Amino acid sequence: MASILPGAPQEGIGYSFSQAAPNAASEPRQHSFYPYSDNGGTSLGISGTDFTIMAADTRNVSGYSINTRYSPRLYLIGGEGPENKGARIVLSVVGFTADGSALKERLDNIVKMYKYHHGKPMSVSACAQRLSHLLYSKRFFPFYVSAILGGLDEEGKGALYSYDYVGSYEREQCRSAGAASSLIMPFLDNQVNFKNQYQPGSGTGHNLQAVVAEPLPRERVTQLVRDAFTSAVERHIEVGDGLQMMIITKDGVQEKYVELKKD
Amino acid sequence: MEVLLGITGKDYVIIASSKAAMRGPTVLKATDNKTRNLNKNSVMAYSGESGDTVQFAELIQANVQLYSMRNGVALSPPAVSSFVRSELAKSIRSKRPYNVNLLLGGVDPKTGEPSLHWLDYLGTEAKIPYAAHGYAQYYCLSLLDKHHHPDIDLARGLTILRMCSDELKRRLPIDSKGLYVKIVSKEGIKEHVFEDEGQVLPA
Amino acid sequence: MGSPFSMNGGACVAMVGKDCVGIACDLRLGMQALTVSNNFPKIFGINDSVYLGLTGLATDVATVSDLFRFKVNMYRLREERNISPDTFANLVSTSLYERRFGPYFVSPVVAGINQTSGKPFICGFDSIGCIDFAKDFIVSGTASDQLFGMCEGLYEPDLGPDELFETLSQALLSAVDRDALSGWGAHVYIIEKDKVTKRLLKGRQD
Repeated sequence: MASILPGAPQEGIGYSFSQAAPNAASEPRQHSFYPYSDNGGTSLGISGTDFTIMAADTRNVSGYSINTRYSPRLYLIGGEGPENKGARIVLSVVGFTADGSALKERLDNIVKMYKYHHGKPMSVSACAQRLSHLLYSKRFFPFYVSAILGGLDEEGKGALYSYDYVGSYEREQCRSAGAASSLIMPFLDNQVNFKNQYQPGSGTGHNLQAVVAEPLPRERVTQLVRDAFTSAVERHIEVGDGLQMMIITKDGVQEKYVELKKD
Repeated sequence: MEVLLGITGKDYVIIASSKAAMRGPTVLKATDNKTRNLNKNSVMAYSGESGDTVQFAELIQANVQLYSMRNGVALSPPAVSSFVRSELAKSIRSKRPYNVNLLLGGVDPKTGEPSLHWLDYLGTEAKIPYAAHGYAQYYCLSLLDKHHHPDIDLARGLTILRMCSDELKRRLPIDSKGLYVKIVSKEGIKEHVFEDEGQVLPA
Repeated sequence: MGSPFSMNGGACVAMVGKDCVGIACDLRLGMQALTVSNNFPKIFGINDSVYLGLTGLATDVATVSDLFRFKVNMYRLREERNISPDTFANLVSTSLYERRFGPYFVSPVVAGINQTSGKPFICGFDSIGCIDFAKDFIVSGTASDQLFGMCEGLYEPDLGPDELFETLSQALLSAVDRDALSGWGAHVYIIEKDKVTKRLLKGRQD
């Protein structure tokens, strides 16, 4: 006769030590490990005739907690030594910071080895394709990042490449990625590519003449970048603290830091 | 794979519904009429869960006719549509909602203006120039986008309907056994014999 | 099926200017990815100086707009005057909260000018009636993230009616172009003390 008391020694084949009766409190527990996290942040890149501006905020979050108010999301790629002296390529990575820095480390290694082997710096277009391959090489355990790569092309024009997390990429005039990209991207469409803007007095309907997008001057682009971020900071909790900007020209990379709201 | 189609023209509305009554992949009947005349100037075509459809259609039909008897005026097509929508909107928040999608075509008896209303089981309503329900949406709306114009005559309307029917025959894996077609104009509702022109094969 | 708020798609935005307000919406009605209609306005006139924008589940957009037409007509009959925007906002709030545990899946926006004080008024709500009073702009719908970005970037206080129209239109058009569930044209209302201008914008048809 089976005992009605839980935890009582069981009849038949049993062990000498007490066995807890299977009940709701001791059902099999499942533990799982999720290898990714989202550290928020937003990045932005705009290319001009002879420059490319890369920008990203420096807030690093997990959930509602702020890990740090200054973790750079912009990295110099190539150049000399750990300081990347003389580098002309900038990589921005948003999403999972650990994957971001691992990716940057790999790409930086590759670009530096390229110069060591060939005696000349890697072109941005080559670096862009290599980055795509790097991302795709982890197709089934991806780097959880949205990457943007900026530099100057072989003709000295601003070059900007954007990526999805498995390596699909495209050269563009401007791109925003990360947490507040949905806020910033339409603003860029409107203010950089003049989407939905028409020449005043050019008629109605099909007669309307669209404002043609032409590369903007540096001062204008810098102002747009700052406006885009101050706007995003107002409405997105994962964006704020600081704005890191890198301006790539033929003379090198100039780095700027601007404070953003810390609330 | 029930098909409902509606096309408005200059002074008419065409409402078409497939003749096949289906249950899963089985065709139970090839002469199923999924339309009801609500009054002299409006037709309703319905599809959805088998029990619900006829129940709901008859509820609407009876109430529209009751309104005319009580008030001595026929409801205009937009008024009918508004009434049907409110019934569906009430139903969706009830214990057991009607699962019925509808097309409502009519011509205003006074102004002669044709109107076509698209309604789904949630009570979503849209007045549109041409409409479809079910798979026909994916196959026919693009055709109608290309060929429809607000002031096409009846012959053109029927030609476009034929193009739609051909496309459905060409692409759907199960034959819908032809279409029942009704034409609403200022003169009233007329049944149109839509001849089956045989098999249509994809290229 | 996803959230009821994003089954049909749609966007709405309101802005305050100098002695004027603007409210605009897109025209799309869809079932998930399929566009059913490109002429489904989401702004409803409450009276000559109060407008209500509704985004969310299309059946509830229709139900709620009809409900307020009824309630406002009853108000006008009883009080023999038009409802003011702030009173109407409270009516919206209480009416939505009546359905606290079975809400209408809509995100309303109210815009208008108070005819007694001459003050512009805008506000937004969640689906159970919590009012969001704003001095600058209110956004709602599936393109709300994009609209927040646009409005925060383009808006400035004390715009005249023409500048307000331009700002509002640019904000809406660029926002819906980055949202697959919104677009297909727009309606823009500019409300002044004794004039309302309604404009139809074509926008991208894709």
